[in-house]
Parts: sequence; C-alpha cells; structure tokens
Amino acid sequence: MTAVDPVPGEAGSIADPRSYASGAFDDHRPPDAALLGDCVHCGFCLPTCPTYVLWGEEMDSPRGRLYLMKEGLDGAPLDDAMVEHWDNCLGCMSCVTACPSGVRYDTLIEQTRAQVERHHERPMREKALRGLVFALFPHPGRLRLLRGPIRALQRTGLDRALRRRVTKPGGLLERMAPHLAAMERLTPPLQPAERMPARIPAQGTRRATVAMITGCVQDAFFPEVNAATARVLAAEGCEVVVPAHQGCCGALSVHNGREEEAQRYARAMIDTFEKADAAHGLDGVDYVVINAAGCGSTLKDYTRLLADDPAYASRAAAFQGKVRDIAEVLDELGPAAERHPLPLTVAYHDACHLAHAQGVRAQPRRLLAGIPGLEVREIADPEICCGSAGVYSILHPEAAAELGRRKAAAIVDTGAEVLVTANPGCLLQVASSIPASADLGAHAMGMAHLVEVLDASIRGLAPDRLRSARSTDTS
Amino acid sequence: MERTAGRLGTTAVDGVPAGRVERPTSTTEVSALLRETAAAKETLVPCGARTKLTWGLPPDSADVLLDLSALRGVVEHQAGDLIVTARAGTPLREVQECVAATGQRLLVDETLPGATVGGTLATHASGPHRLVGGTMRDLLIGVTLVRADGVVAKAGGKVVKNVAGYDVGKLLVGSYGTLAVVTECTFRLHPVPAARRWLTARVGSAEEAQELTRAVVHAQVVPAAVEIALDPAGDGALSVLLEGRPDGVAGRAGVVRELWGGPAESGDAPEGWGAYPWDPSVTGEDRAVALKLAFRLSGLRDVLTEARGLRIRGSAGAGVLYAALGVEAGRGSHEEVAATVERLRGVCAHHHGSLVVLDAPGSLKPALDMWGPVPALGLMQRVKDEFDPDHRLSPGRFVGGI
Amino acid sequence: MIPVEPREAAIGRLTARARELLRPEGVITDRARLRTYECDGLAHYRVTPALVVIPDDATQLAQIVRACAELGVPYVARGSGTGLSGGALPHADGVLIVTSRLRAIKEVRVEDQRAVVEPGVVNLDVTRAATPYGYYYAPDPSSQQVCSIGGNVAENSGGAHCLKYGFTTHHVTGVEMVTPDGEVVRLGGDAPDTPGYDLLGAVVGSEGTLGVVTEVTLRLTRLPEKVVTVLAGFHSTDHAGAAVSAIIAAGVVPAAIEMMDALSIEAAEAAVQCHYPVGAGAVLVVELDGPSSDVDAEYADITRLCEENGAFEVRTATDAVERALIWKGRKSAFAAVGRISPDYIVQDGVIPRTALPEVLRRIAALAESSGESGVRVANVFHAGDGNLHPLVLFDDAVAGAGEAAEAVSRAILDLCIEHGGSITGEHGVGHDKAPSMARMFGEDDLDTMQLVRCAFDPDRISNPGKVFPTPRLCGERPGRRQGVHPLQEAGLAEVF
Repeated sequence: MTAVDPVPGEAGSIADPRSYASGAFDDHRPPDAALLGDCVHCGFCLPTCPTYVLWGEEMDSPRGRLYLMKEGLDGAPLDDAMVEHWDNCLGCMSCVTACPSGVRYDTLIEQTRAQVERHHERPMREKALRGLVFALFPHPGRLRLLRGPIRALQRTGLDRALRRRVTKPGGLLERMAPHLAAMERLTPPLQPAERMPARIPAQGTRRATVAMITGCVQDAFFPEVNAATARVLAAEGCEVVVPAHQGCCGALSVHNGREEEAQRYARAMIDTFEKADAAHGLDGVDYVVINAAGCGSTLKDYTRLLADDPAYASRAAAFQGKVRDIAEVLDELGPAAERHPLPLTVAYHDACHLAHAQGVRAQPRRLLAGIPGLEVREIADPEICCGSAGVYSILHPEAAAELGRRKAAAIVDTGAEVLVTANPGCLLQVASSIPASADLGAHAMGMAHLVEVLDASIRGLAPDRLRSARSTDTS
Repeated sequence: MERTAGRLGTTAVDGVPAGRVERPTSTTEVSALLRETAAAKETLVPCGARTKLTWGLPPDSADVLLDLSALRGVVEHQAGDLIVTARAGTPLREVQECVAATGQRLLVDETLPGATVGGTLATHASGPHRLVGGTMRDLLIGVTLVRADGVVAKAGGKVVKNVAGYDVGKLLVGSYGTLAVVTECTFRLHPVPAARRWLTARVGSAEEAQELTRAVVHAQVVPAAVEIALDPAGDGALSVLLEGRPDGVAGRAGVVRELWGGPAESGDAPEGWGAYPWDPSVTGEDRAVALKLAFRLSGLRDVLTEARGLRIRGSAGAGVLYAALGVEAGRGSHEEVAATVERLRGVCAHHHGSLVVLDAPGSLKPALDMWGPVPALGLMQRVKDEFDPDHRLSPGRFVGGI
Repeated sequence: MIPVEPREAAIGRLTARARELLRPEGVITDRARLRTYECDGLAHYRVTPALVVIPDDATQLAQIVRACAELGVPYVARGSGTGLSGGALPHADGVLIVTSRLRAIKEVRVEDQRAVVEPGVVNLDVTRAATPYGYYYAPDPSSQQVCSIGGNVAENSGGAHCLKYGFTTHHVTGVEMVTPDGEVVRLGGDAPDTPGYDLLGAVVGSEGTLGVVTEVTLRLTRLPEKVVTVLAGFHSTDHAGAAVSAIIAAGVVPAAIEMMDALSIEAAEAAVQCHYPVGAGAVLVVELDGPSSDVDAEYADITRLCEENGAFEVRTATDAVERALIWKGRKSAFAAVGRISPDYIVQDGVIPRTALPEVLRRIAALAESSGESGVRVANVFHAGDGNLHPLVLFDDAVAGAGEAAEAVSRAILDLCIEHGGSITGEHGVGHDKAPSMARMFGEDDLDTMQLVRCAFDPDRISNPGKVFPTPRLCGERPGRRQGVHPLQEAGLAEVF
C-alpha cells in the first residue's frame, strides 16, 4: 500500500498553520501561513495563469507556487528551484480573480519576493540586469535622457547590427534594446519637453478636485496620455492639481521584492501629495487619480506596505483612500461633457493590474459604450496576461515574447481598428508583438489609452487620428 | 425452490444441436447450474425468446441451452425514481406495459416481437429511439450476473448517477452471452411524451437523403428519431419523429416542414417503422443476410450509394443502418455475397465505422467474415479468459472466436 | 512479471530512460518540485512521487508507460489535478505522468458531431471550440474551467446538467489509450457500436486503473434554442423536495435541478452576495433548455408546480447575465462554506430521489447528535438525480471536532448505501473511498470487477491502490462466496 500521510482533522487546506517551523524565510513578514491556509488546492487558478498556460507545469502555477511557499514555511531551505518558479510569476493576479476561496496570492507573492531578495544570492549577470532595470525605470528623468540615443540608433538602422556584433545573445543590450526601442517607436517624434501645469481649472461647474499622478514610463514616453487625462478630467468638471517633483510610486520595486526601496518611494509619494493643495493638503482633493494600472494597484496597497511604519501608517491609509484609477473617477462622476460620435471599432484589453488587481472591468467598458458610433470588441482569453507585467518582459524575454505573440494574435482576431487599454506596459508589449505576428495577417492597428479615446470624442476629433495612433505599421 | 429442466422447443442453436435445455427460475438456480456444469466443462448458450439466437456465429458447441424465459417479471418499478428492475427473461413489451401505468417508458425499441430484456442486452439491439435515448448501454444502470464459475455478482446499482467501481454492465451489453449470464437488469426510465408526430419525406437519391438528414440533425428540433427506409432501387422515405409536449411538437414540426418542404405528417408511425429490413414478410425470403452498418454521420451518402440494390432501414441520424442482402436462388454465389459484404465494409471503414453480419443462412456463414476487423481484440480475449477461462459460455459465437 | 529489482534502482533506470525520451524540463526529480505534485484536489492525502514526467505528446507518454511496464514501476496519470477523491494521488515508489501538455484540440467536426482532443484539454475549452459552430460539449462538472478531459474520462465526470444529458460515458465515443503493458490501442471511434466487447464502457470511469488515454473522441451536442433558469425559494427542504418530485412526476426532464438548504444559502450569500430569496429554507435552481416552444410549455408547468408546493418566490432568468446571477450562488457553494466555517469536508453520495426527505432529516439528526463538537451540515445537491453533496462543517480548533465531522461524513455514506444508493455520484472512489467500496459491494462484486483489472493490468502497475479496497491476485480463482450479500442483508435485494 501507498504510504499516505493524512493530516488529522484537516479538510482540504494545503497548509496547516500549526506545523510551521522557520525554513526558507526570516521572521520579517514571511508568507502569511493563515493566508496560505485558505488555498484548498482546487486548481481554478491554473487556466488563468500565463506561465501554466505556457508550460503546463504545476510549479509554475499559482497553486504550485503557494505549495513551494508552504514547503519553505515547513522548513525546506530556500533553493534555486523555488526562486526560479516564484521569479517566473508575472504578478498579473489573474489567479486572485479566479480563486473561489479568496486566497490573497498577491500579498503572498509580495511577501515571498521580499524574502527572496534578502536571502537569495542571484548569479552575477542576473544581478547586473536587475540593477540596471531598477536604476532606470523608476526614474522618469533618466528614461527621458535615453530617448535621444535610442532614436538615433534606430534611425541609422545600426541597432540590429550593433546588437549582433557587440553583444552576446541574451546579453543586457539584447534584452533591453527591444523594449526600449518599442518605447521609442511608440513615442511621437519631436515631442516638446512639455510640463504639465500645476493646476488646471474645471470647465463649467466644478464637480471635484483631483490630484493627478503622472507616473514614470507614462511621463517619459506617453506624455500625451497625461495631457489627455487632464483635458478629460477638466472637461468633466474636475479641477486638476498636478504636484511637482513626483517620483516613482514604487510599483516595480514592490513587484520584485525590493520592499525597502518601495517603502521609500511610497513615503515620498505621500509627502508630495500631502502638499498637493497648498491650503488643505490632501484634504483639499477628492481623488488622487492615476492612469497607469500597474501604479494604481500599488498605490491602493500603501496601507499594507507601510503598516509597520508608525510615522506613516495612518497617513498611508488616508492617501490610499483617495486613490482611483482614471476610469473609476470618470465612471463615478458620470458624463458631463458632450460625446461626439467616433465611428471606430476598438478592442478593449484588460490590463491585469486594472482588472485583476483593482477589479476595474466594467467602468472602462461603460465609458467606451457611452461614445456614440464606437463599437467595442472583446478579446479572446481576456484573463491571460499579455506578458508585459512591469519589467518581466526584460527579465524573462522568451516567456514574455510568447505571451505577447498569443495576445497579439487574439487582438488581431477581433478585427478591430484600434487597441484600447489603460496601461503603458501593455501598449508597449502589444506594439512590439503585433509586427512579430505578421503571419497572422496582422494589419496596422492603432493603439490608444482609454482617456485618449474619450478625449477624441469629447473634442470631436476625427477617428483617423486614433487609427494611426502608435500604429503597428512599421513600414 | 422449483427447478424446471427439460426439452422445450428447439434444441439447436443456429444448427448446432443442444445437448439439453435447462430452464432455471432464479438467479440461484442459474448459479447452481453453472457450478454443476463446471466440472464436466459443459458449454452453455443462454437464450431468452430466441428471436436472435442465430445472430453471430454458430457456437462451437451447446451442451446446455440455458433458457432464461422463466426468469420473467418486473422486480421493482420506482416511478418516483424513474427506474425499473426486470428479470432477464422478461419480454420488453411486458416491461413497457408495467411502467406505462405511471406514464413512463424504457427508451429501447422492440425490434423483434417478443424480444426479452436479456436478449436485447446481449445483442445490443436498438431501434429508432437510439438517436434520443441511446441504446441499452446508455440506459442500463445495474446488473446481476452469474459468472461461469457460478459466482453471483452485481455491478452498478439502482441510482442513475453512480461512479462506484467498474461499469461491468457495459461490458455485458453486446457480449452475446460469452462473458456471464445476466439474470436481472435495472434501467433508467423516461416519461412517455404527451404528443408525437412523424414527418416523412420521399427520397430518391443518396445525396437527397444526406441533405435532408443533415438539415434536421443540425437544426435545433431535437428529433427522437431520424429513420430511413429504402428499397433496392434506392427509392424510399426519410422520417423524423418528434416527441414531447403538444405545443413543442407543433412548433418543431413547423421547423421541419420549412427544412424539408412539405413532408407528409402523421400521428402514427409509418409502415415498418423500426423493423429490420430482412423481415421475411418484407423480403419474402426466409433468411436473408442481415447487415449492420455504422459510420460517421457525414458518410451517409457514400454508404447509401454503395448499398444501392439492398433493402435498407435504419437510423440515418445516428449513423447506423441495417441492410438485407437477398440470397434467393440464383442471386449470387457465396463468393459474390462475400464480395458485396467486403465492399460495403470498405465504405463503412472509410467513414470510420464498421460492418457486422448479424445473421446469414447457415450455409453462408463459413464464407463470410461475420464480425470484420476488431480493434483491441487481444484485450477482449484477455477479458474473456478472466471471466470464462474454460470458454464454456456461448463459445465461438463472438468476435475472434470468443 | 514485476522484476525483483529494488524499487529505487528501477526508478533510477526509469529516470535515465525518461531523460532520453523527454525534454529536460519534462523530468522532475528534485524534492521541492516533486512535492508540488503530492496531492490533487483532495489535499489532505499527500504522497510525494518518486518521479514526475511531463510528456509533450502521446508517443512520449506511451514510451514512458512501456518503460514502466518493462521495469515494473507503478505509475499514476494526472491531468489538472482537481479530482476530489484522491484518484491522482501519487505512488511513493512510482512515477506521476502528467498530461497537462497534451492539450491540443485536434479536430472539431460538427458535421459528424465529434471533437477529437488530447487528454490534457480543459473541459470548457471543448465547448469554447465548438460554440462558434452551434455545438457544445454537454458534461459540465463544476470544475469545467480547469478539469481536463483525461480526468473526466477516468472519473466518468458528471455535472449539473447530466440529469438530462448524461455523463462523460455517454459523450465519449472513442479513445486511444496506452494499456499497462505499453500497447497503444483504439477503443470505439467516431461511429457507434464498434464490434466486440464495449471495452470503452469499462475504461470510462475506471479511474486510471486500466491505462492512460492519449486521445479522446467526444460527442458534440447541438446548442439548445432556448434556455430558461428558474430560481424558487421555499420555506423548507421538504417543500423543495416535494416540488422536485412533482416536476419529475409531471414528466418534465429539466436540464438541471439543483437544491441548496438554508446553511449553504447563507454561505453563498456571504461569499458572492447572490441575493437569493430572503428567509428561504431551501432554494431550487431549475434549468430548462431545448426548442423554445417546448421550453415555454415546460416553464409554465415548472413555475406552477413550484408554487403549488409552497414556493414563496419564483424568479426567472432568460439571458446569460441573469442566468449567471442565479448560478453564481450555486456554483460558489463549495468554496463559499469556507466563509462560514474554518474547516469542512465535501461529501458525494447518491440516494434514490424519493428518499430525499427522509435522508435529509436523518442527516440533520446526525449533525445534532454530534454533540458539543459543533459539527453542522450544509446541503447542496443535484436534486434531480439524488446526488447529494453534504458539506460537513467543523472547526478543527475544537477538540474532537475533526473526528466528529469525519464520523458524520461516513454516516452519510452509510445512509446512501442503506437506501440503495451509491457512495459516489461523480467524484469517484479514488484513494478516499476505496475502503467504502466493501460497504456498497460484496466480495464477489468486487472480485468480478477486478477480473477486468486483471485482463488489462495483471501486474497492477496502473494507479495501484485506487478504487478497490484489496487487490485481487490475478490468476487466482477465489472460492465460493461465504455469507450474505450486503444488499440482501440490507433488505434491498433478494437472491432469486
């Protein structure tokens, strides 16, 4: 007979909180045993997990990753295998949506990643890559500086040759270059170094005061998205406040286990926005609005991030209480400005950090449905990540490329003219994937942020502007 | 405990003389008989109403003709649970009469008058309703059997939903009495429909038959049966049976009318509904070659084309047809009949199906490959060896000499 | 013959062989990764397998099974690992063969009403592939968005709609499988009634003990013209049960009839805010589908019968969104009880539908008599076919509660057996209920089933230890049965 080891009295849960000894983790916020205990091993997360969809392996599913955490808590030492599978997670949180038992995988993987960063020695090359990523992406100024050289490289057609000769396959430049090049390609040329005004008055009756977060990638590469956000908010009767000297929200750091770094960013963000309104501080604004999904999910989790900091815990809660995605604010307020017809077919792509992490699915669709003449098409397998996932596409290029190819194919299948989403990372990823799937009969497709579509409708712009926006037609 | 044994009626099985006839009246008696005959390794051929006793190959020997007709009667009918348990020798008609009292029916057609529950199960015989209700295999939920070694066993149960243990019942369906002796069966029942209507269209070609069948099968009218009947010239009719509530049947009949363009309609079954095409009253022959053809639905046209010249009946909508190949004097040598069978078998195989010669005149059987190629035959032989290691039950009647 | 070679050496040789056959990632040997495979959907049984292999195609899978046969290494096949009976519980000295990468939908041929799929294909994906052509795959286990067709074949999975449409066994027309000696055989196919024994009928539901399927041909069903879902609130399960009986007696066969009692309604409300009728002691979810003229007529009957039997509120959903709202509460029920109880056991048993009121009363009495342990039972079931899913709720922190809950759970199975029902309607026997088989079947019954096992797998290397409480030594001829058949003893069957 098989040696079976039933845990007495336990019915279904994979974790038994009583049996833990410290194994892979230290005492500072190890993966929460009680949260792990909520997993009943039903497997409903499997088909929604991008890496399980790719590889079909238990270890690269949420259920498997939770199991590895449990092993770590049970006393198994932190080993390369565990770290590899946790690293492979895109953090798309699709599993959180799918889970019928309410397992907080998002919290658990963040807790685990912070432990990994503290205790796991990565190989030199990987360390260097991660160092470079975190020295670059959370810094809008540095990102902006990069734009010139990349463009020059691209224009001369040297980049491919350079990459081939100068770098080894899989080397740093090889990995970074496509991503940065996609960013550059999507950025309108000759964009003036436009600064957002500090205060934009509401049009008509003021319905709300909104402080706006401008983001890092959004600010450097998609300044027109920020401009459209401010215009739409103003048109809908919002007074818009844009605090100066905004830093990174800490999302990339949180997602990669760099907890202390994330906390630094979060404190700075709170400091900045507490001064948003000169007279009343944070109390003077109704909402803090963000138009990048990845940032939004982190901003809405500051309370937990700073829970152990007595100086910031309650301030974080106050700040978090005001954070809304742009779609939430606009949907909540309801339309005030007139929508002009926009005869256009769009495919709406759910950004993972909007749909899964923030549960914002209906609002963007309602907003699009409110535009006369606009047809919205759904994309097959909407719950599966496009592979962008913050800096995942740089750290795991093969997996990201394959997910991007699949997502691009699904998007192309809709036959829509414009792809609409609410996250800069998704736009970048899909843009770099669609040309690669030319054999799928890909046609040039415009790409726009949700607010750009609303902006075009409110301003009565011609639909062609969106059709050619960041067009995938690279010829 | 009463026991009847004796020489009753025919004592030959498809030309093979039976040593004696035993007519047990209970499962216990069947068990005792199998134990008694084990020592001498006597062979037994179970039978019911003997309506299909010549089907398959003649047995290698039949020391005992095991007549189960005394194992007769409905044991239990639970109307509220939609189940019935009957002894194997019970005529199907008797079961239907019993359950009809509460507005229910066993969704198995009586394809030959007098056929019993056990015989229908052993030969996996089915009629028009297979399209909506499946066959014995789909309706059998529990079985009592007696093994060759006399052991009495049950499988399944009396509830429709049950996944405890192997579905031994399915193995027995269509096993021609070669694995065990079935003494009692429990079936799932269905309500008798309040209304039924037949719509019949004339068909003059295989193409037309295929088109009309396709139209009604892929529509959303949930036909209870889609049957075809063709004479040797290829002329005949396609009928769809609609069953259900009066409003529902009327609504669906309207859809079929549109699809088929003015079919004849009736509240009564067309003549010969569900009968085999080799019925002597139709063919005028005592015993024609009886063929069962199965194929992918999309193969209907090709099969009908190839079968022109034969009398055809069957479930066009389910991919199962029956054909009668006349062998009256002067209508072909044994070789020619065998060649026709193989040609038809070829077209069925091309459409991922099979052809079985269910029955044929005794003189012809040796010239025919009755069962055709049987995939996984090795496994089947191993199953036979486990259940009946001495090959005492209906030896030689079934596939691969089983 | 099983070689006398020690198991460890055999595993070592099998591992070496697997490395030759599979891509490197497809052979898992390190402990951390192996442990992620140590349980399926029934997580309180855990066995770490000696080796996990993840083949890419049927050829590789067959090669692995052949190697197992040669080396005498036991194997267990696993799909998505969602089973609730421990059917895919690994073998400590064996290999776990994972089919999750065999997930191609090879053909969808609606003109033949067939789809051909690999075993790792997810159940719901078959429907997704067929829906554009107006067809779907009828069996719909609650886990249909994740469970695999291979697992469905092994367990003969059911679902809410099998009342009208039947189980997996009615919708699988053929398989290609690897037998335990490594031979690849085809059973059944596209066309009906393949000559010979219905081995396919035996293989479906055999829980992986007769081999591993590598390709499955499925019957596709035409989408119904109309679907209507009715939600009816009753004051008690007795009223709801009477309504079910009345519906059946009226000759209506709905696509599904589901019942939930007060406790499970409470859990569902807590989890998904399904807004079922306030104050209901039981709700029925009745789904009708088919041609619209029939559905309309049946709908009138159903609402009338519910009201006649004491329904105080009847709601109707006719579009997908409204239907989803009604089903949301029912479908969330299992996971939702986690919100009202720290621990629970999901039971799966079947009774004749007419025994429902009595069995429910006895279940309530069982919970009450469990005394201070605080065990409660929430009832969710497929009322149309008498398939109970009692959820036995307890708090493991209370001394003795776990044992009391298990005792109640066991007693519920005894009730099912006593009423002539079954110990499992859809979750399977697996590891969990193998000991209970001897309570439902006699020795001879089990022995007869194992004759089939001996024909397929005389060395018992395919999922050993599952389904049967004690293995039969193949080739052995057991003596005559002693004593009385358990069903006869229970007064449920006579020997004639």
